[in-house]
Amino acid sequence: MCVFLAVFILCVLAVAPAYANRGIDWVNTKMNLGFPKLPEKTFNLGLDLQGGAHLIYQAKTENILDKDRADSVEGVRDIIERRVRGGLGVSEPLVQTTKVGDDYRIIVELPGVSNVNEAIKMIGETPILEFKEENNDPPRDLTQEELNQLNEYNGAANAKAKEALKAIKNGMNFSEAATKYSEDETSKNNGGDLGYITKQNYPELYDWAQNHSDGDVSYDLIKSQGGLNVLKKTSTRDGEKKVSAAHLLICYMGAESCDNAQYTKEQAKKKIEEIKSQINTQNFVEMVKQYSTEPGAGDRGGDLGWFTKGQMVSEFENVAFEITLGSVSDIVETKFGYHLIYKKGEETIKEYAMSRIFIKTKEKTDIVPPASEWKTTGLSGKQLKRAEVAQDYQTGQVQVSLAFDDEGKQLFSDITTRNVDKTVAIFLDGEAISIPRVNEPITDGNAVISGSFTLAEARLLSQRLNSGALPVPIELISQQSIEASLGADSLQKSFKVGIFGLLLVALFMIVYYRFPGFLSVLSLFFYTALTLAIFKLLGVTLTLSGIAGFILSIGMAVDANVLVFERLKEELRAGKSLSSAMEESFVRAWTSIRDGNITTLISCAFLIWFGMGFVQGFAVTLAIGVLTSMFTAIIFTRLIMRFAVSLFKGEASWMFLGYKKEKLNS
Amino acid sequence: MIIPFAKYSKLWVAISGATVVVCSVLTLMWGLKPGIDFTGGTLWEFSFSQNRPAIEDVQKAFTDLNLSNSTLQKTGDFGVMARTSFLTEDQHQLVLRELRAKFQTDSNNLREDRFETIGAAVSKQLRTRALWAIILVSFCIVLYVTYAFRKVSAPVASWKYGVLAIVALIHDILLVMGVFAVLGHFYGVEVDIAFVVALLTVLGYSINDTIIVYDRIRENLLRRRGEDFGETVNVGLNQTLMRSINTTLTTLFPLFILYFFGGASIHNFTLALLIGIASGAYSSVFIASPLLVLVEKWKRN
Repeated sequence: MCVFLAVFILCVLAVAPAYANRGIDWVNTKMNLGFPKLPEKTFNLGLDLQGGAHLIYQAKTENILDKDRADSVEGVRDIIERRVRGGLGVSEPLVQTTKVGDDYRIIVELPGVSNVNEAIKMIGETPILEFKEENNDPPRDLTQEELNQLNEYNGAANAKAKEALKAIKNGMNFSEAATKYSEDETSKNNGGDLGYITKQNYPELYDWAQNHSDGDVSYDLIKSQGGLNVLKKTSTRDGEKKVSAAHLLICYMGAESCDNAQYTKEQAKKKIEEIKSQINTQNFVEMVKQYSTEPGAGDRGGDLGWFTKGQMVSEFENVAFEITLGSVSDIVETKFGYHLIYKKGEETIKEYAMSRIFIKTKEKTDIVPPASEWKTTGLSGKQLKRAEVAQDYQTGQVQVSLAFDDEGKQLFSDITTRNVDKTVAIFLDGEAISIPRVNEPITDGNAVISGSFTLAEARLLSQRLNSGALPVPIELISQQSIEASLGADSLQKSFKVGIFGLLLVALFMIVYYRFPGFLSVLSLFFYTALTLAIFKLLGVTLTLSGIAGFILSIGMAVDANVLVFERLKEELRAGKSLSSAMEESFVRAWTSIRDGNITTLISCAFLIWFGMGFVQGFAVTLAIGVLTSMFTAIIFTRLIMRFAVSLFKGEASWMFLGYKKEKLNS
Repeated sequence: MIIPFAKYSKLWVAISGATVVVCSVLTLMWGLKPGIDFTGGTLWEFSFSQNRPAIEDVQKAFTDLNLSNSTLQKTGDFGVMARTSFLTEDQHQLVLRELRAKFQTDSNNLREDRFETIGAAVSKQLRTRALWAIILVSFCIVLYVTYAFRKVSAPVASWKYGVLAIVALIHDILLVMGVFAVLGHFYGVEVDIAFVVALLTVLGYSINDTIIVYDRIRENLLRRRGEDFGETVNVGLNQTLMRSINTTLTTLFPLFILYFFGGASIHNFTLALLIGIASGAYSSVFIASPLLVLVEKWKRN
């Protein structure tokens, strides 16, 4: 009896440790004792209860030898797991492989992930690392035929442009001429109007407009990128302002890019105030040379050149644009530290409204594309053994160091040998991230990528390189994602359902079977605590269907007791004494209980084998429930019945269904 | 009081036989509507924070994206549930972008609640697995029933108990399928993996119930040799009747609560369980036992 009570209490503690810990806290503070707390392990909740994603990928193994397939798919699994753990920070992802027929699949479960799209991108991403060398092969010459074509085309274009020019000279309306001749699709039906242009987007046109007044039309053809233009300048306006300034920076520990901090924030503040009291436009350059903490500031006198709005951090540029020309600002604080700004120049950039008639021409490069600056070497991430974050001893610069396997070592040695005093480029995902110069051949298979990384970037890069390209391409063939709040809602609902179901069943048992019913309710509560504790300790993943299985098993747990009590009723009606009737009913009911539950267990066994999340959750909880219920309904109920029967001195009373009054008289 | 079930054996068998015929006809005629688990495709639930646009407009948005075979329905006050063909992640994001561009405003957010898309390969796998699970479970249950009744022989051979238990089982399964064929025809209720799970659970449960009734009959046969077989069956039925009713009730109570308050996603699952379990209790009393009496009678004549 005591054993069961202890087990019950342990189960309750395991199921709801938070309450117990609150009690322990209370005792500890009241009595000044140091009882240890219980570990607060939570239930494993399925995706449908906490939100998340379930993804199934198909591995495309067609190009891989049969015997290597399983291994490569395992490799993919490992990489995906690293990516979701490291990149997404999912603490308990489930990544597993299955083989269906001849297909290899990878199942990825990401509990609690809200941005599924990002997760999918991260999983499928294949970082491609390539080493390229300078391409010195000259682009091929045009064939005679191509040359003829080119000349023919440009001759025609030239003639057309001249015709347009002539038409304008003869008094044709500019916008009509644009519609008729222009090959600029966006402007031709709009009178050739380009709107206001800047030097950045139309450099040749801008240059022409600078030397002409509003209303002027060009009487020559103006060459621009890709063609010939007849131009008309319609108006001029003031565009953005630009400012030229120099600054003096005092950075401090913790400020951005302050690698060799000399000051704390307070010290920096004091220092800049001290400088401020002495500085003026005459000694600005001197003061910068002496005090500025910006690397290399001395050489340039802190000069930043011309800049427009949006190029500098906002606190800085607000002040730089506001103060009067030729003055030094007050102290400005930005994320880089404290600044003093000397405004050296200010100008308003003009913008010109232009119209044009555009005739396309072709260049040699339109026919033969310019040769790429870099050519592939055959060395790629495939031959990479590992990548690590390192730091240059002298400069302190953050680097990523690479170690190659034997094939890579050979290739790298060849590449560096033939490229001494030339540059090689390291491309990541098609972009050159580092272009180091080769000083001498490197034969030990170690290379270094030294871009301008922050530590975090370098770490990310080395992680991505280590995880490498997926050895097998994968395709997403099934996706299930559930919003977290929907899951929480379901959890709350099913929790309520469980409690109500339990109470309803308990009520029914007590009303119908009276005292034994009450005892079976005790064992039902014991059953609930025990089952939940088993779920928790075995780490059974609870899903919505799992909870349904558990709720169903409550009904089945009672079934065993119903069988016993019906039997008890009969035995009592047959006139047996309470204690012998009880023993008899447990023995006789046992075979039925056993046979009945075995069929349910058979179904569960196949459902677990079935393997899908929904099905498994249901079958596992139902099976555990059925097994536990056999234990509590037979052993536990019998135990407390025996105990209770001894209280009644072995005689039945109205509290037992099936009790007969006559028996007393006979 | 003893209810004379066995006396009306033919009537019970006739009623149940009619049910089986009607359900089979309905199931064959209309068929079960397979869900995306088995056909492949997408099930997509999203909801709006303020007000849901007209469902026709959302439907049009889907049609404009060449997803013409999609069906949409309203869920709750602000939700939409869409069924359409399999979508790759890129397509999914594209549709989502379009929907947001069309219907989302600053105050009316579109939130994605659930997105499931199942490709043809996976749905094929699920179909085969489900089929195998049903076949294997049925096979094992027949084996077990034969084993459980191996000791009883006179006056009915032990294998016949097994066969009759299976007949009762077929009734229960057909009843559930019939109801879902009707629901599928009129309300578009689909049959998914959860439905198969419910069926398999009903398999176990129905057999369980029949076994308990037969168990009692078997016990009585050993004790009261020489009595009329019909009478023996009837006594057994009456003895187990309250147990059947009570057990079924205690199982159905939580299921009812689950059905009404358990949330939409396991609604049909619980419905299938409710019908199957109720029918499982019914069939042991009104099919398995009367048939036993009839079989014994035929053997004598």
